[in-house]
Amino acid sequence: MSRSLPGARSGGRAVLDGGPSGRTSRLGGAAVLLCAPFALLLLGTVLAPVTYALYLSLFTERLSGLGFSGPSSVFVAFGNYADVVTDPDFLHGVGNVALYAVIQVPLMLGGALVVALLIDSAVARLKQVWLLAVFLPYAVPGVIAGLIWGYLYSPGIGPISSIAPIDPLGANGILPSVVNIATWQWMGYNMIIFYTALQTVPRELLEAARVDGAGPIRTALSVKLPSIRPTLFVGLVFTIIGALQLFTEPLVLRSFTGAVTSTWTPSLYVYDSAFVAGDYGRAAAASVLLGLVSAVLSAVVMRISARRSR
Amino acid sequence: MDEARGGEPRSGERRATVSRRTLLRTAGATGAGAVLAGSLSGCASRETSAGATRVTMWSWLTGMDRYVEAFNASQREVVVDLNVLAGGLSGGYAQQTNAIRAHNAPDIMHVEYQGLPQVLTTGGLREITEDVSDLAADYSAAAWRSVRPDGRTWAVPFDVAPMVLYYRKDLFDAHGLAVPSDWERFRTTAEEVRRIDPAARLTTFPLNDGSFFAGMAWQARDPWWRIRDNSWEVDIGGAGTLRTARYWQELIDADLVRSQGTGTQDWIAAMHEGRLWSLLGAAWSAGTLHKSIPRDSGRWAVTTLPTWDGVPSTGMQGGSAFAVSADSDVPEAALTFLRWLGTDPEVPRIAASFTTLLPAYVPNRAVARESYRGGYFLGEPIYDVLDEATRRVSDWTWGPTALGLFSTLENRFSPVATGGSTLPEAIERVQRDAVRSMRGSGLSVIEGGST
Repeated sequence: MSRSLPGARSGGRAVLDGGPSGRTSRLGGAAVLLCAPFALLLLGTVLAPVTYALYLSLFTERLSGLGFSGPSSVFVAFGNYADVVTDPDFLHGVGNVALYAVIQVPLMLGGALVVALLIDSAVARLKQVWLLAVFLPYAVPGVIAGLIWGYLYSPGIGPISSIAPIDPLGANGILPSVVNIATWQWMGYNMIIFYTALQTVPRELLEAARVDGAGPIRTALSVKLPSIRPTLFVGLVFTIIGALQLFTEPLVLRSFTGAVTSTWTPSLYVYDSAFVAGDYGRAAAASVLLGLVSAVLSAVVMRISARRSR
Repeated sequence: MDEARGGEPRSGERRATVSRRTLLRTAGATGAGAVLAGSLSGCASRETSAGATRVTMWSWLTGMDRYVEAFNASQREVVVDLNVLAGGLSGGYAQQTNAIRAHNAPDIMHVEYQGLPQVLTTGGLREITEDVSDLAADYSAAAWRSVRPDGRTWAVPFDVAPMVLYYRKDLFDAHGLAVPSDWERFRTTAEEVRRIDPAARLTTFPLNDGSFFAGMAWQARDPWWRIRDNSWEVDIGGAGTLRTARYWQELIDADLVRSQGTGTQDWIAAMHEGRLWSLLGAAWSAGTLHKSIPRDSGRWAVTTLPTWDGVPSTGMQGGSAFAVSADSDVPEAALTFLRWLGTDPEVPRIAASFTTLLPAYVPNRAVARESYRGGYFLGEPIYDVLDEATRRVSDWTWGPTALGLFSTLENRFSPVATGGSTLPEAIERVQRDAVRSMRGSGLSVIEGGST
């Protein structure tokens, strides 16, 4: 570092503005130093793996004959992508996730919003207790939650299958069961975010609304909701991305029922391709597609959010 | 990045930037160097302080820690470092395949017979034909064939896993039921069981276990793969397999058997509470029963599988072997351990405390039989049944996509539970899937049944 300073002083700064240069340059050095941990982590844990996945997705392992002479890597351009998007199992998984999202996203976000508004309302008592009670499931690790619910759903062990109108682990019941687990787990988390946003709504605004004759419901719909719209959209983006990446719950439930296939969601499809079938190229292509769709959907939601709040 | 590549710095400012980048790069390289040094030292410390050769091993075999401990205590030449993996398809194979790709695989890897050809296609195993050729005569023929798919030896067999029938002898005796000797009698027994106790069924056809159905097809003597003219002949929809599929579909349609998975909590409860009266399992299932329903001592007995048309035949479900990595620096030491693991009489003696090991090395069968404590099973001595079952194992070749195929089978079987598909339909789809995926990966494939 010290070696670079004289060069900077005698050359660059003089050319640029002729002013005292060491200070700025040292500041620059500090900035680089402070950014380095982030940059290294970003490079090592995000950029490098993504680049490698992109690279992998363009290649496939080709065997020949009986396959015992080992694989050779072959460039197939977008061949893996074509395989993935024409694979009925992948499309079926996409369908499952779409259906899941259509049910779970409004249900969970709606529930979280209603609970947040209720706790935020003037009449609520024991606010901290309610907050904690609704938030608590989020503190349970996803795999544990999946196991607990798996046991609750199992006929002969848990009570739910004898109460529910459909078998919660059957072909028709499995989607609602997964929705239930995810809603149970994530509602509290989103509720906390919404509640925190509601706390920042200026109290004068609420008083003004009351003076103007707005009741609690009118206040909630016309004052509170518009005030926290950006937060709602952030919650929506996170939830949609979470839905696309649906993995843990169905993976855990696979050990309880055959209704969850190994390609039931796109994430499971990626897992199955890479670690069961050993086809890394196809797995990489599917995960790149999944990432792209997530990015596009987030962008769309954020764009809508930005337009609305203008 | 572009800036760093940008050749001559145009100004001091730029040069300062470049040198900062250099610093960063140097820091990065140092970090990478440290990692590299770490991994090198990992390779370099092949010798322990006592001068023994260190061998690394990955396995998910129950009890492997005890075998390794006994081996390490028995001699001073080789020290085995065991790393326990998640079982097979739950992560073990994935971890090993990744390590093979990254060229940092352990010296010894766990390969089940059904997974061996698929692991072989990674090119990560060392050929050991010459090293262990002297063992051939003393090994179970079924196991020895399984580690030599192409006539070269790739692994040392550990156990054999012929399928057998476990049944509730107490309930069978109480209701005067005879043990079904063939599959038609198995059907009438299933009817009887349901008549005696409407809540009970004779057994379950586990729709979530592809290896179970493979074992059934194996018994029907209809191999799904064969090697012919340096090509894979794939015939998953063959006559024997389809007959098996139709048979089980009829039982499922008539509500004579359940279709729930085995090994789940629900299944364990059903077995213990008398809602399932039998288990079609492998030799190692005895250990599973011991562990899952320990209080069922004195209820269960073992017999050979019901036959098709009286022909004595059985398939295998699972069974383990151990292979040496192609990248291993210490193959001799690894083989020293594998020979001990496969053939030393101490191994079945240790195993007797927690399972019913059926060694692939025939001379060790007597040891296993003597060491077995008994007391759990009624009726004929379990090792008599297992020996007979081993003799009945018919010819079979596992293909290079078998592990992936189990997963496909389970997916295609899944809608059978609700009547959305049938086993024969599923089988035909799996045949098409298998041929397509094998051709897709460049293998030379002949479609079975087409000739």
